[in-house]
Amino acid sequence: MNTSWQNNRAARDARIAAGAGLARGKVVEAHDATRLLEAVVRPGDRVCLEGDNQKQADLLSRALLAVDLSRISDLHMVQSGVVLPEHLDLFDRGVAKRLDYAYSGPQSARIARMLFGGKIELGAVHTYLELFARYFIDLTPQVALIAAVSADREGNLYTGPNTEDTPTVVEATAFKDGIVIAQVNEIVETVPRVDIPADRVHFIVKSDTPFFVEPLFTRDPAAITEGQILTAMLAIKGIYAPYGVQRLNHGIGFSTAAIELLLPTFGERLGLKGRIATHFALNPHPALIPAIESGWVRQIHSFGSEVGMDDYIRARSDVYFTGPDGSLRSNRAFCQTAGLYACDMFIGSTLQIDLQGNSSTVTTSRIAGFGGAPNMGADARGRRHPSEPWLKAGAEADPDGAALMRRGRKLVVQIGETFGDKNVPLFVERLDALELAEKLNLELAPIMIYGDDVTHIVTEEGVANLLLCRTAQEREQAIRGVAGYTDIGRRRDHGMVAHLRARGVIRRPEDLGINPLDADRSLLAARSIKDLVRWSGGLYAPPSKFRNW
Amino acid sequence: MSAPLKDITPAERARSTSFYEASARTRLELLLDAGSFVEFIGPEQREVSPHLKIFDLPEQFDDGIVVGRGRLDGSPVFVAAQEGRFMGGAFGEVHGAKLTGLIRAARQIGSIPVLILFDTGGVRLQEANAGELAIAEIMRAVMEARSAGVKVIGLIGGRSGCYGGGGLIAGCCSALAVSEPGRIAVSGPEVIETNRGVEEFDSRDRALVWRTMGGKHRRLLGAADVFADDNVQDFREAALELLELVGPFGLDALKAEQERLADRLRRLSACSDAVDIWTAEGIAHAETVPELPADQFIALADRTGRTSRDAR
Repeated sequence: MNTSWQNNRAARDARIAAGAGLARGKVVEAHDATRLLEAVVRPGDRVCLEGDNQKQADLLSRALLAVDLSRISDLHMVQSGVVLPEHLDLFDRGVAKRLDYAYSGPQSARIARMLFGGKIELGAVHTYLELFARYFIDLTPQVALIAAVSADREGNLYTGPNTEDTPTVVEATAFKDGIVIAQVNEIVETVPRVDIPADRVHFIVKSDTPFFVEPLFTRDPAAITEGQILTAMLAIKGIYAPYGVQRLNHGIGFSTAAIELLLPTFGERLGLKGRIATHFALNPHPALIPAIESGWVRQIHSFGSEVGMDDYIRARSDVYFTGPDGSLRSNRAFCQTAGLYACDMFIGSTLQIDLQGNSSTVTTSRIAGFGGAPNMGADARGRRHPSEPWLKAGAEADPDGAALMRRGRKLVVQIGETFGDKNVPLFVERLDALELAEKLNLELAPIMIYGDDVTHIVTEEGVANLLLCRTAQEREQAIRGVAGYTDIGRRRDHGMVAHLRARGVIRRPEDLGINPLDADRSLLAARSIKDLVRWSGGLYAPPSKFRNW
Repeated sequence: MSAPLKDITPAERARSTSFYEASARTRLELLLDAGSFVEFIGPEQREVSPHLKIFDLPEQFDDGIVVGRGRLDGSPVFVAAQEGRFMGGAFGEVHGAKLTGLIRAARQIGSIPVLILFDTGGVRLQEANAGELAIAEIMRAVMEARSAGVKVIGLIGGRSGCYGGGGLIAGCCSALAVSEPGRIAVSGPEVIETNRGVEEFDSRDRALVWRTMGGKHRRLLGAADVFADDNVQDFREAALELLELVGPFGLDALKAEQERLADRLRRLSACSDAVDIWTAEGIAHAETVPELPADQFIALADRTGRTSRDAR
C-alpha cells in the first residue's frame, strides 16, 4: 500500500508552481494579482484575507473579488476583521460562502442584513484570541492574503507599526502547508526590520497605493462631555485609587479618554501618580500623551498602532515596544494575551447593560462583533500570580474563603452615562442581542461581557460594586441604583438601594468626596487635538479628519 | 477646584480662559469690565421658545442668547452672546427678537456700539420660518444702526462657528474678529456635502473645513480684520482695536468693498483650495499656514492679509 503522509505539502508545492509563472522571483505585478489568486486558490479553500480592525489588505481584497467564479467559489473566510465593503461583496458575488470572524465595525449593519438574508453562512462571531486559537486547531487557513509596508526581493516583510494580526496569521498558514501572499507598499533593497521572515512568504504584490489604515483609537478631547468627566472622576477615585490599579486596559470610548486626560490633573491632585495606571495593554491612544509626558506611564504594549502616532512612539521608546529600526512593533495576539492575563483591570463603555450586568454592543440591526473587549473584560481563570487589586477583588467577592485557596478577580468595569448617544438609555430590561439571536437562529446571543465577569458599573449617579453583592436581588438593585432616570433606574427599590449604599456597594459622588459641579472641561489636561499636539512637542501628527485648524 | 482662581486678576483669568470652551455668560463676564454687565430680559423672565415644546425638546431660560449692556475699558457697549451649546446657538423666534431689539435700541441711542459674540449653526429648524424672519430683521437692524453711526462688531470663536443666517449677519457687521477655531460661512460643510457630493466637499475632513472656513483663512481674505488667539482677553483687546479702526459707513465704503470683492473673485476664482489662494496671495510655504502659532500667524496676516475695514 502506497500511503503518503505529505499530501498537503505536495498540494502546496503545486499551488506555488501554478503561481510561479506570474512571478519574477516572488514578485507579482499588481495587475496580475487576480490571475495569481486564480492560480493558487482552490474552490472551498479557507482563506484569511487580512482585515484587522485597522490595517487592510485592500488590493488583495479587490483582486479576490474579481476572480473568475468558474475557477474559484465558495471560499470559507476566516479573518478577524470584516471591515471593507469588498469583504462582504465577496459573499454577494459568490466568491465566498462561509464566514468566521471577530469584528465588523463599519460593516455591522450590512453584515446583519446579509446574515439575515442567507447570503453568508455564519460559523461564529469570535473574540480575537478565540479566532486566533482556532487558526491552529480547526480553522487553519489554506491561503493567507496579508498586508505589509515593505518587502525585500527575498520576501522578508516589514509590517511597520501596524503589525497587528500578521505574525499569527502567517504562523498558522505557512507552517501548515498554506500559501502566504503579501501586498506591500514598496519593494526595497533592505527592509527596516524583519517582521516576517522570507521563507514564510510565497508571493509579493506591490500595491500602487499604501494599504488602508483606519484611525480607530483617536478620541477628540473637544467632544468629551462634563458627564463623561464626572464618570471618569468617579472611576479614578472610586476604583483605580482604592484597588491600586497599575496594570490595565482601556476601551476606546470617550469616558476612558476622559480618564486618560484627568490623570495629570485630577489624578495628580489625589497624589496617585506612580500608584495607578502605570502599565497598559493599549493601542497608542493620543489621549494618553499628557499622562505619558507627565511621567505617569511606564510601559505600553499595543495591539496595533494609531495613525499619526509614529514619530511620537519612536521618540518615546522607553514607554512603547519598538523594533531595532525604532518604529512600533505591535502584535494583537500577544497584546490580547497580556490584557487577559497580565492586567488587573479592564474598563470600557458599552451600549446596553441588563439587570444581571450582561452587556452588549449589538443592536437589532447591527452586529459589530466582539473584537478584543471580551478577552480583556473577562476573569482569567488560568491566572495564578497575585497582585494587590486582584487579591482585593477576590476577597471582596468571597470574604469568608481561605486566603491561600481563594482566587483573585480581575476588575471588569463598565462605564457610561445613564443616557448615551441620542439619549438612548444604557440600561435595559432585555438586551437587543437576544432578539437578534432569535431572529438569526443563533445558538448563542452575542454578549460582549457576561454579567458574572462584570465587577463594577460606573455612571454619573455613582459606582456600583457588584463584587459585594451577595444575592441576585442585591445585584439587580445595585445596578438599578446607578441607572439614573432610565426606566430601570426609576423602578428601583429605594429601601434596598439605601441599604446597599450604607454598605458601600453603591457609592455616590458625595460618598467619594466628589462635587459634580467640579466636573468641568477645564479639568482635562488637553481639550483639543491641538492641545495633544502641543503636549507631544509636535511629534503627534493627527490625520486631516481630526485637525480643526 | 476653582479655589485658586480667586487670587488672579480678571485680565489674567480672561487670558487663561479659552473663548472656544467658555459658555456665553463666561465670555461676557470676562470680556467686559469686571462686574459691569447688566442683562436685559434675563433668565428670571423665562422668555423661552414657544415652539420647542411642540417637538418635546428642552427649552432654555434665555433661549440660547444673552443680551445686555456693559462697559469695555470704561466705555458703554451693548452686547449679545449666543450660547453654542444650546441647539448649536441656532436662531429661533425669541432668540432672534432679543438680538433685533438690542440692535434697534443701539440705533435709537446712536452712540453706543454693539458687540455680537456669534456662536451659531444658523436658523433653528424647529422654528424655521420665525428664525428666517429673525435673520432678515436682524440684518436690517444692523444696516439701519450702522447708517445711524453705530459700530457693530462681531466676535467669532465659538464651538458652533458662525454659519447660515449667522454668516449673513456677520457679513453686515462693521468689522469682525475671529480666532483659529472660529469658522465663518453660510452653507456648512455637511450642507455642501449633502447637496454637491463628498467629492466637492468632504465634511469629515476637518483640516479641509478649517482651511476653507476657519479663522485663519477668513483673516487672510480680509473677511475678518483682526485675528485673536483663543482666549477671552485677546477677544477683548480685538474688540477695543476694532472699535478704534472702524471708519464711517456710507455708500462710498460699500462701493469700495464691492470693488474689492469683485477684484478678489477675478484674481482667485481659478483656485480650487485655500492653499492655492494663500499661494496666489504671495504667501511662501502656504501649506504651513494652518500649523502657525497665533503670534507668527498674526505677523504674517499683518504683512500679507487683506483688510476691508468692513466685514465680509
